[in-house]
Amino acid sequence: MFQWLLVILGWASVAIFAVVSTYKIVQWARMPLALRQEVYPVPRGPRERRRYGGSYMEEPGWARKPPEGANLLAELTEMGIEILFFQRVREHNVYRIWLFSVAMHWGTYLLLVWAGLLVVEHALGGLIPVAALAILTNIAGVAAFVLGAFGALGLVVRRAINSELRLYTAPVDYFNLLFMAAVFGFGILSWFADPAFASHRAYVGGVLSLTPAAIPYLTGLCFLLFELFLIYMPFSKLLHYFAKYFTIHLTLWEDGFKVKGSPLDQKIGEQLSYRVTWAGPHVVAGKTWLEEAQIAAVPEGEKK
Amino acid sequence: MKTLTRLAEIASLSDDPLSPVVVDDLLALPGLAQPPLAPPKARWLETYDFSLDGFSDFDVPKPTTPEEQERLVTGFLSGLEKLFDPANNWPFVRNLRLAMDYCVRCQTCSEACHVYLGSGRQEIYRPTFRSEILRRLYQRYLTTGGKLLGPFLGADIELNFKTVWRLLELSYRCNLCRRCTMTCPVGVDNALIAREIRKLFSQELGLAPPELLKKGTRQQLQVGSSTGMNPAGLKNTLEFIEDLIGEKTGKTIHIPLDKKGADILLIHNAGEFLSWPENPAAFAILFDAAGIDWTLSSEQLGYDAVCYGLWFDDVELARIALRHVTLAKELGVNRIVVGECGHAHKALCVVADRLLPGDLSLSEMPRESCLPLLWEIVQSGRIRFDPARNDFPITLHDPCNVVRLMGIVRPQREVIRAVCAQPLREMTPQGVENYCCGGGGGFAIMNTLNFPQWRNNVSLRVKVRQILEAFEDVLDADTDKCVIAPCSNCKGTIREAIQHYGLEERYRLHYTGLADLMVNAMAELPGPYLEWNPVD
Repeated sequence: MFQWLLVILGWASVAIFAVVSTYKIVQWARMPLALRQEVYPVPRGPRERRRYGGSYMEEPGWARKPPEGANLLAELTEMGIEILFFQRVREHNVYRIWLFSVAMHWGTYLLLVWAGLLVVEHALGGLIPVAALAILTNIAGVAAFVLGAFGALGLVVRRAINSELRLYTAPVDYFNLLFMAAVFGFGILSWFADPAFASHRAYVGGVLSLTPAAIPYLTGLCFLLFELFLIYMPFSKLLHYFAKYFTIHLTLWEDGFKVKGSPLDQKIGEQLSYRVTWAGPHVVAGKTWLEEAQIAAVPEGEKK
Repeated sequence: MKTLTRLAEIASLSDDPLSPVVVDDLLALPGLAQPPLAPPKARWLETYDFSLDGFSDFDVPKPTTPEEQERLVTGFLSGLEKLFDPANNWPFVRNLRLAMDYCVRCQTCSEACHVYLGSGRQEIYRPTFRSEILRRLYQRYLTTGGKLLGPFLGADIELNFKTVWRLLELSYRCNLCRRCTMTCPVGVDNALIAREIRKLFSQELGLAPPELLKKGTRQQLQVGSSTGMNPAGLKNTLEFIEDLIGEKTGKTIHIPLDKKGADILLIHNAGEFLSWPENPAAFAILFDAAGIDWTLSSEQLGYDAVCYGLWFDDVELARIALRHVTLAKELGVNRIVVGECGHAHKALCVVADRLLPGDLSLSEMPRESCLPLLWEIVQSGRIRFDPARNDFPITLHDPCNVVRLMGIVRPQREVIRAVCAQPLREMTPQGVENYCCGGGGGFAIMNTLNFPQWRNNVSLRVKVRQILEAFEDVLDADTDKCVIAPCSNCKGTIREAIQHYGLEERYRLHYTGLADLMVNAMAELPGPYLEWNPVD
């Protein structure tokens, strides 16, 4: 029964993660377009200009030229460096969390790589020799568990012992970190019990072929926690990596100006027709944003 | 000794300051002694609320009856709901929701904040302090998760009239410089969250510093300028400026007004006309000498670029920007050029773009900074500059709205290199990483009750240290030295700093705008344009 539950959970956790994450992303994408609020440096334009944080607005007559548009390569490079090395935390955080933060995030990345490789091994088992791949899988798994556990526990300790960090840490923050520590910790224990990850391979094979395999208790717990974590993640702030696309790419790096008749202009036109119900004495509630903007003095009679 | 203020203390019912400014904790300024801070006047304490840190700009009587207190809390909750409503807050709702839900509370942003550093790292000035209070209130009152699992999520802040009032005050302890935003690994914008709190209070309750709303945007929309100057007053002022140009340069220049079809409509911060008329005069001299086809506007609002809504109110921001751009269209100019006013740059050239209908888009009526144009004038060779006329140590302040928030970094540096004899002494840090002057977000003009004391001792402190460090090797009473601040509000703040800390008497430290500096180097002029008071 427990083995069947794990098989079902294996599929369900991935599905729930994908569906809820997608739902949230679609919800964010459907929310109104914000005002331009870029902060330089923005990874667009020539390399030299990016280096010192310059923009196209340094040139007179820029609005008569075509908008520059995004520089996908520069954005991905900038974001990639941040995702891999946590530059901002390393340079600016004074609470000595960088090492733990990098370790925990790398643990998470490698955990996903490990799980992915287990799937690949099973899927391609008959097609390619998997011995070399298996070594890679095992290394990824061990590194994921060790780094992740070290990072998550380190962050729990930092938050608990530093009086300033503690002020801002809610119980849910400890829960998230301890949950992650448990996922990685049981990964380590299951690896101790099965250093070659044979039972882990058996479990993944069983999930993919819908034939539950008999696996040790610790391996089962390792996957159970991992799958519960996958289900929990999109409901928590741990989903921040997707949010960054909206807060950074679409806001802090979005510096294109509006051209009349463009899709952007049409979208803004639509938003300017939303109605305002703010109650401040200078606001005339019930007007659209555009009508509101056209009001200078607010006659008493119009105030609702 | 730093106070470790807990978030929940925001709800304390005491009238005593939650976290008073402690002189001994303030960031040390080399060579300058810090005098004690005066407590609020006794009669103020009876009427107004100083319960955040002992300072306030709000001359609004504190709510005393249960009904008044309840009204404040109810109004706040109503505004909070609207802040997260897509129709009422489309300009920022997505980012606000994401910031509320996905901040990982890592505190990476703290050290980027000059207010936090200047105060000696007092907890209440940390960029996340006010955001975290807003987050916890949002979770507790507007989310299902928060209602069910409040304490577990940290949604444990009690909402009473003191919480509301202190949050209002807290929103005016951030300069909105967004330096913290640069450092956030998740892209959370704590400065704009401070602005969202300001918006809530202004748009729902009509609560904003008097200089920003009543004497600011309201006066500008009704009279024509936040200075109170009407079109007739402008015309008198321009006559005075034409005389000033004649006296200082021997030139007869007629400042073009309401010239239809000119290439450029130049809009200054009207404060320049009153406080620093040499600056609009300098523009007139440069534009005249360079043969630029330009005009000023005498229409209401057309001669005052300020757009204080940028700091606290989207409705007022849209109203003023719409009027500015409409005026330019009516005049038939090719483009608007914004004078040396940082927040007007950001409002007109960037933020307002998405608050205006298609016909007023940037593609239809370009709005540009004056700084690239000034560099273009230098490059054109139409004016001969003699750098020897600017032979004194110079440092450059980077107005946040122009530099970090618009990416205009180089033109002003190129101009300085071209018109000055000595190498530019960059501040540390400089460019997009430079610190706010301490007057951003409205602080430069907020002078009610004892707020100026807070500004002068806390928010502009880091800038003072930067300036002193830039002139470290010439910090004497013999050498004239100058801070270039191409922004009216920054200039006003630096003037305040110089006066407050006695830097002119002590170090012969002066300040000016970029156009003034250029005119001072014009070879054709009979004498210097910059006039510094002789030091006894």
